[in-house]
Amino acid sequence: MSSRPVFGDFLDAARGHLGTAARLRRTAGREVDIQQVNRSLLRLVAVMHRYVQDATPGSVPGPPRGRRMLTGWARARAESREALSNAMGFLTEPDTARPQPPAAAGELAGHLDAVSAALAGGRDLLSTHLGTDPRGERELRSEWALTVTSPAVGRAVLAEMRSLARHIAPLGAGLALAPGPTGTAEARQNLNAACQWLWILNSSVNAAQRREPLRTADLELLRAIPASALPPRRLPAPAESVAGLCQGVISSAERLRHLSWASGRQPAWSPGLTVNSLRRIAATSTLTSHHCEILLRSLAARAPGNVPAGHTAGLLHAAEAAGHTRQDWIGVAHALDRVTTDTRLYLSPDADESADLALWTGRLAYANPDWALTSGPAHQPRPPGTLVPTPAGARLVVAAVHHACDTLTSLGYAQREQIRAAGAAQRILVTTRSLPGKIDIPHPFAPALPGRIQSMISACEQTGHSAEQATAHIANIAAAIRAPSRVLTAAREAANPSHSSQPSPDHTAHAHGAAESQPFAGEDPELPGPAERTLHDLGITSPELLQRGATIDRAGDQLIIDAAFGLGPSRIRPSASTLSRSADTATLVNHALASGDPRAAALLYSPRSAEPEPPQAEP
Amino acid sequence: MTPTPRTQQRLRDAAGLPAILDTAYDAFEDMLLAVRAHEDPAGGLFAAFMMAAAAAADGRDALGFAPSLPPCHSQDRPAGDDPARAGESAEASAAAAASLSRLLMARLAEARTSSSDPGDRAACADAIRCAETIHALLGGSGQ
Repeated sequence: MSSRPVFGDFLDAARGHLGTAARLRRTAGREVDIQQVNRSLLRLVAVMHRYVQDATPGSVPGPPRGRRMLTGWARARAESREALSNAMGFLTEPDTARPQPPAAAGELAGHLDAVSAALAGGRDLLSTHLGTDPRGERELRSEWALTVTSPAVGRAVLAEMRSLARHIAPLGAGLALAPGPTGTAEARQNLNAACQWLWILNSSVNAAQRREPLRTADLELLRAIPASALPPRRLPAPAESVAGLCQGVISSAERLRHLSWASGRQPAWSPGLTVNSLRRIAATSTLTSHHCEILLRSLAARAPGNVPAGHTAGLLHAAEAAGHTRQDWIGVAHALDRVTTDTRLYLSPDADESADLALWTGRLAYANPDWALTSGPAHQPRPPGTLVPTPAGARLVVAAVHHACDTLTSLGYAQREQIRAAGAAQRILVTTRSLPGKIDIPHPFAPALPGRIQSMISACEQTGHSAEQATAHIANIAAAIRAPSRVLTAAREAANPSHSSQPSPDHTAHAHGAAESQPFAGEDPELPGPAERTLHDLGITSPELLQRGATIDRAGDQLIIDAAFGLGPSRIRPSASTLSRSADTATLVNHALASGDPRAAALLYSPRSAEPEPPQAEP
Repeated sequence: MTPTPRTQQRLRDAAGLPAILDTAYDAFEDMLLAVRAHEDPAGGLFAAFMMAAAAAADGRDALGFAPSLPPCHSQDRPAGDDPARAGESAEASAAAAASLSRLLMARLAEARTSSSDPGDRAACADAIRCAETIHALLGGSGQ
């Protein structure tokens, strides 16, 4: 959408390195040092653990007994934390309480380190939206912060961690059980046991997804979260292309949303809160609304072939709503004509940027390539044929208008809050000159009466509501034509779950497909079981025989899982590492765990692992 | 409607700092009413009028903080709109506002020079900037 880095960039980098590591695993020989792999995997699992911690509301984990009361995603979070914590326990070398080993020398371990670095970068990106206030409490630092901390994004993070775990586990277990790599038996057992806990994470999140499917939109939203750094300010170049203008509108709208969010949070006494800024925003937002109406009518004129049938009316409804928004902004502007503030003639950054957005949308809406706010009369709208020459062009224009209208919504509500705060602080003033001459007031201004302030607040509220209506109409079009701006809808719903729409079957991520829209290159995470693998080793290629082998393996999995699950919680059983001491047993247990059956966790839970996990300090 | 010729004449005739500030204040107010009357989205000057209205209100408010501004309107302020000017085109109104803003720039510059009060000087400087903005927005409207 803009030049800002987004979370998906880091996720893709991590997946790319993990895919390379998985390919290297297939031919791993003596050059691979298991101890080195363990160290690299420890770094990786530690980063994943921090992600899951971030996605967990509150900071103190409940005891496992309490966890039995949890369901769905809350349970998956608790179990994932424990699984990663246990995996870290197996990978931590006994003599180093908090190891900081040097970077891996081997190629495979190097790629695992690169996965860790990419994931750490992604987590840093998410953290740019949050901070800590002087009292040590979490502070929101951008308009994305509520989205980043939302349950929807938390679920998407868990789904991504599951996807990673599902690919790391066979990689690590494969190395642990392969004859080629060098390493002690203990190091191999620890690596395999750690990977078994990653399969537990996979099963836990899988179970949550079956119970409460994740929406594809939430996964897309997570990927689209940008760094909180603003895109640079840019003004349209002469004869800018339609695509360039659309990108300019989007970038300006993103900047303005952030600046408006920041303005809405300034204290009532801030000298930056001036009537001049409020007026400039009202005037320029009137124009932006008007331009959006023009653009939507042009889109409607070009709808056949570019927009799915049935959405022409939606475009016209959106245009009408944009027209209402324009009229409401004019109402706000008129209300602001009659008041002033105690500080003047300072234009806030959002006031400047709102003029930029009006300019960008005007350049897109009008045929004149040099259109400006000072342009004289007789400028014609851009011909619809040049605005939307292709369906791809329609997606971009819809995205631009969607962003602009979404920003107008933010501005309307931000103005409401600013006027409310300034009014409460008696900073909204009226001139006393307009009063009848016989009323002798020695001061040129007096605080506005509450009724006037309330009517201004109502005008802004109505404007925000109108813009919201226009945005909702455009959001439907954006979803229908898969315009890139559709993540805005998911972001609003995530930040305000009461606005969420129920997921339709088309919009839920399938349990197995969730978080894997960007597949790992050339790597199938499914492990063949012992029978199927033996057939492969024999050179059998018959699909029927291989299928029979897989069926036998699945039956074996079920037998082992049923037996372990039937033991009950009080029965003393061997620990996971004891169970995996033999490579043959480890292979069977691994395959049962990889089945994704959540009951397979019974294979690993022992009295020791039922204790509360130790607290994990941030490195 | 357009800014009234009477306002322009009053501004031209104003003598002394308080009188200039008083008539300039009214001139901004008149321009505000005039451009608001023409803010028709279908009109070609919609954008310029919207922006000019904000500048007119800002200019008026700037003068409202001038210490030498009389606390009440002077008695010779025209009451209401000039019926003869109602119904004029948006282009004519823009041209009249541009002309008035140019006169404002000149008279307020005189006032700023003549005043020794920093508050008056600052108010005049701020108001001049607003008049310049209006002139830039509406000055080329006939083109």
